Amino acid sequence: MNNALCITDPGIGFYTQWIILSLMGLSTWLVLQTGRISLGQQAYFGIGAYAAAVVTVMFNGSLILALLVAWLAGLIFSALISRALQKLSGLQFALATLAIAELVRLGLSSWTWRTTHAKGYEVGPDGVHGFREIRWLFENQMGPETYLSLSAILLLSTLFLIWKISQTKLGLSIQSVGLDSELATVQGEPVASLQTLTQTFAGGIGALAGALYAHQATYIEPAVFDVMLGIHAVGYAMLGGIATPLGPLLGAAFDLGLLEAARIFEGWRMVIFGGLVALFLRWRPGGLLNHAAVSYIKNLFIQRRKSDEHSKFA
Amino acid sequence: MLELLQRTLEGLLEAGPYALIGLGLTISFGVLRRINLAFGATALLAAYVGSWLHVRWGVPALGVWVAVILITVLVGFYVEWMCFDIADDSVLAMRRQSSVALGLDAREASVLAASFALWMQIEQVAVNFQPNHLHPFPDLSSKLNFDWGGIDLRPDRIVVFCLATGLVAGLAIWLKHSQLGLGIRALSSSQAAAQVCGLNVLRLRYIGTAVSCVLCGLASCAVLSMDGQVTPMFGMWVLLKGLTCALLGGLGSVRGVLGGAVLLGITEAHAQSLWGPIGRDAATWALLLLALLFQTQSLKHKFFHAKRV
Repeated sequence: MNNALCITDPGIGFYTQWIILSLMGLSTWLVLQTGRISLGQQAYFGIGAYAAAVVTVMFNGSLILALLVAWLAGLIFSALISRALQKLSGLQFALATLAIAELVRLGLSSWTWRTTHAKGYEVGPDGVHGFREIRWLFENQMGPETYLSLSAILLLSTLFLIWKISQTKLGLSIQSVGLDSELATVQGEPVASLQTLTQTFAGGIGALAGALYAHQATYIEPAVFDVMLGIHAVGYAMLGGIATPLGPLLGAAFDLGLLEAARIFEGWRMVIFGGLVALFLRWRPGGLLNHAAVSYIKNLFIQRRKSDEHSKFA
Repeated sequence: MLELLQRTLEGLLEAGPYALIGLGLTISFGVLRRINLAFGATALLAAYVGSWLHVRWGVPALGVWVAVILITVLVGFYVEWMCFDIADDSVLAMRRQSSVALGLDAREASVLAASFALWMQIEQVAVNFQPNHLHPFPDLSSKLNFDWGGIDLRPDRIVVFCLATGLVAGLAIWLKHSQLGLGIRALSSSQAAAQVCGLNVLRLRYIGTAVSCVLCGLASCAVLSMDGQVTPMFGMWVLLKGLTCALLGGLGSVRGVLGGAVLLGITEAHAQSLWGPIGRDAATWALLLLALLFQTQSLKHKFFHAKRV
């Protein structure tokens, strides 16, 4: 199975892939914050992967430049898509994102641009066979530990940025749109612009995940970012919890942990994960870290701090 | 010119199976006000069980058809229970469900994501149950083509097209003139209003789900009997074609499904000849996207009306 969700590296690569999938989960989580659900964040994953690969393989660019280009490509594409789908609401938006993701996948499946590498072999996108020989990490002796650190820095920066924004008026406005867009409109919030802004940022994160994946796996093919990846991204966000950006990280960790456990009964991972996601959504619609759980944890910390202060004072 | 006509007619006949699948999704949407993304996977699992019965136990075609329909209903109710069951919900929640086009609240997102997750779960169960790629299904396809002035047409496709047209007409009449049909239409317009009028909403939902699943099972049997085999791609195929037909015809409109199916069939046939299989798939997704983009306004009006009711 050629799939971003199919972990083959049990060592450090496992943690890098957890970060990549967490970024995908975060991308979907951000869209959920605007009161919408996207079933097609995998489109940005694909665009980011191809854009980054083009930079390092076709133009011999650096990895940082590749990540930057992938991020920009994701931002631009998601801004365009977000504007185009702005008038769609709810269900229509979800289905339209799925349709666009499949169109992107099919488009990249038919993209061929082959050139000869300095070492004599052919490189570049090759239709349904995908884009192979993305060997920047090997050619530049970047070890898996360094790559893991780079990925971790990207994830932490993203989380920090989301946390910082959530503390501002902009963050509160986005939250109000997600909770009730009609009420937010009445309050004078620019709902459409806020949704576009958030979805654009989400697309950029998805593209970064794709770029990281392509360079770790040394190849990318359209089958990697099929609907299965979209399902998992939604699953991570919904299972982990929609109240905090740590939710998708928890969801991804849960799935990968399950994968490790499921090695004993191979082939049933999706049965268990799919069933668990559905059960969770039925009995706990906000996910593991829902608003109640987050408030409870916050209160616990506050109480502990208060009791510490009391004991210090006494 | 003859080739163009041949392709167009082939596309037109392809509309038969598409309409059958679209009908099930339309009824499901009409009753639940939700799109069941596990619809295709349900059909796949039932088809795999049918294939297993046929190959392993030599069950004849009629028995396989009955089994496929029964399994589709059973799995359909499992999906309904896991994702759409609102037995413990308040009227307020039901009102929210009727405003599906006006915004996606947390519950709607949860329901959609749940059916999304069950899609993969059921598909994986099917693949684990029958790991091979190709599985034989009772073959009822015609071996001789119907030649009409240089144009070749498959008689089995003509039969399925007629079956689909008959079912669309029958279902439209049933919904319009029967007591149960009236109840389902009322439920489709507004669940809260239907409940206030004294209709047993839950019973109607279950009947609607059963009708939708029976249609899905019937469509699966008709399609697979023409091909004589089933592959893991069948689930995705059912969902994609059904959804596109239902959306093109105006989600919730029984008669519109046939029109949507004809448009999809003809577009696909021409796209296939021009750009090959990838072009055909892209044409389907593009049609789905266009249907979503251009139907927003009409759907909004529909649901604003439902809200006013």
